[in-house]
Amino acid sequence: MGVPYIPVRGLAGTDVMERRDDMIMSYNPFDENDLNVVAKAQNPDVAILHAMKADEQGNALLRQFGEDVVVAQASGKVIITAEEIVDSVQPGDAGGNYISSINVTAVVHAPNGAHPTAVKGYYEMDREHIEEYVQASTDDESFQQYLDRYVIGKTEDEYQAMVAEQSMAAAPAGD
Amino acid sequence: MSPQRPASTEELLIVLMSRDIRDWETCACGALSMIPAASMLLAEATSAPYIETIILGSDQLSGNLGKDIHFLAQRGKLDLFYHSAIQFDAAGDFNLHVVGDPDAPDRRLPGGYGSGLISYTAKRIFFFRTEHTKRTFVEKVDFVSGAGVTPPEFKRAAEPFRVYTPMAILTFDRETARYSVESVHGGFTIDDVRENTTFELDAPDPCPTTPPLTDEELTTLRGEVRERMVKTGTYAEWAAEELQPG
Repeated sequence: MGVPYIPVRGLAGTDVMERRDDMIMSYNPFDENDLNVVAKAQNPDVAILHAMKADEQGNALLRQFGEDVVVAQASGKVIITAEEIVDSVQPGDAGGNYISSINVTAVVHAPNGAHPTAVKGYYEMDREHIEEYVQASTDDESFQQYLDRYVIGKTEDEYQAMVAEQSMAAAPAGD
Repeated sequence: MSPQRPASTEELLIVLMSRDIRDWETCACGALSMIPAASMLLAEATSAPYIETIILGSDQLSGNLGKDIHFLAQRGKLDLFYHSAIQFDAAGDFNLHVVGDPDAPDRRLPGGYGSGLISYTAKRIFFFRTEHTKRTFVEKVDFVSGAGVTPPEFKRAAEPFRVYTPMAILTFDRETARYSVESVHGGFTIDDVRENTTFELDAPDPCPTTPPLTDEELTTLRGEVRERMVKTGTYAEWAAEELQPG
């Protein structure tokens, strides 16, 4: 929206509000008896958002429910990673939220890019991998091992090859 | 005719909450809310046929609302919403975020912003908890996800929170900042309730007994409501498993 702050109906007296300095209480300028929480605008320098489809101009179809379009509009640069690159994404396209190329800086073709989480209509979440991640997150050492194995110094192709091999190994025989 | 199997804790909470839904209300529940969903559908099938039910995440019964539920509530059009919480305290605050020190939690829970928004804007809130213990009803919550008392000029709904537990129904009065016991369920006494609550509770003397569950309520829940949840993709697996006729 490009405004400096916005009133919020809620959060008064919560630790959510207490533990940050960008939400304060403020009176309604039009009604001195009306107290609100106001939140300072959040403007990321870069947003990286995963889309179902994008075209080469940067028009994209982001997930149906969620704040992705708002995040994109609030950000300085927007990088869209997309499951598919198609000829044209139109505002009327079903199954997601359209974002115009005017808001988008770059598009990357990234099939299976949301792994290990799901993309509706494309693939389910990889439960085994998420469990592995959760286990690894319990302390710094095991998390570093996870990063060394899957992330640091690995290309996207290497990562995808690793997880594909794992899920083939995990699939029950005969499927 | 053999009696059906006794109600589970979940079924007890479902039936008790369904009784207190007012007909024509617009009611909604959020994520991981099987118990609220079932209670709304039970009310609709029995005492409150004209309610508007919004069950987020349901295939067919979500009203196609996502974040719009917040705007609906903010505009004053959401009559009833449901919450659970890991902790409730004497000040009427509740916690859905963490157990332990917020900077180094023992457990991090799903709590985000939602509870801190809708609990201020929905006209009525039903809290429910599947245990009534001292670790639930604490002196001070580890983290305030939603506050019980707020400055008078901060507009919010006036109706007291209602809290449904396996032992009792409690209400929190924001004017006096006190919890009271409305009724104690059969099989428990007011002393049981007090012994399992860290803070003081007001209660009428004698304290009323919650009317017991009727056969009809349970049959409707395990029949018509369960079928509807399965058919409409509303926590279908849970309903099929947990609400079996018996």
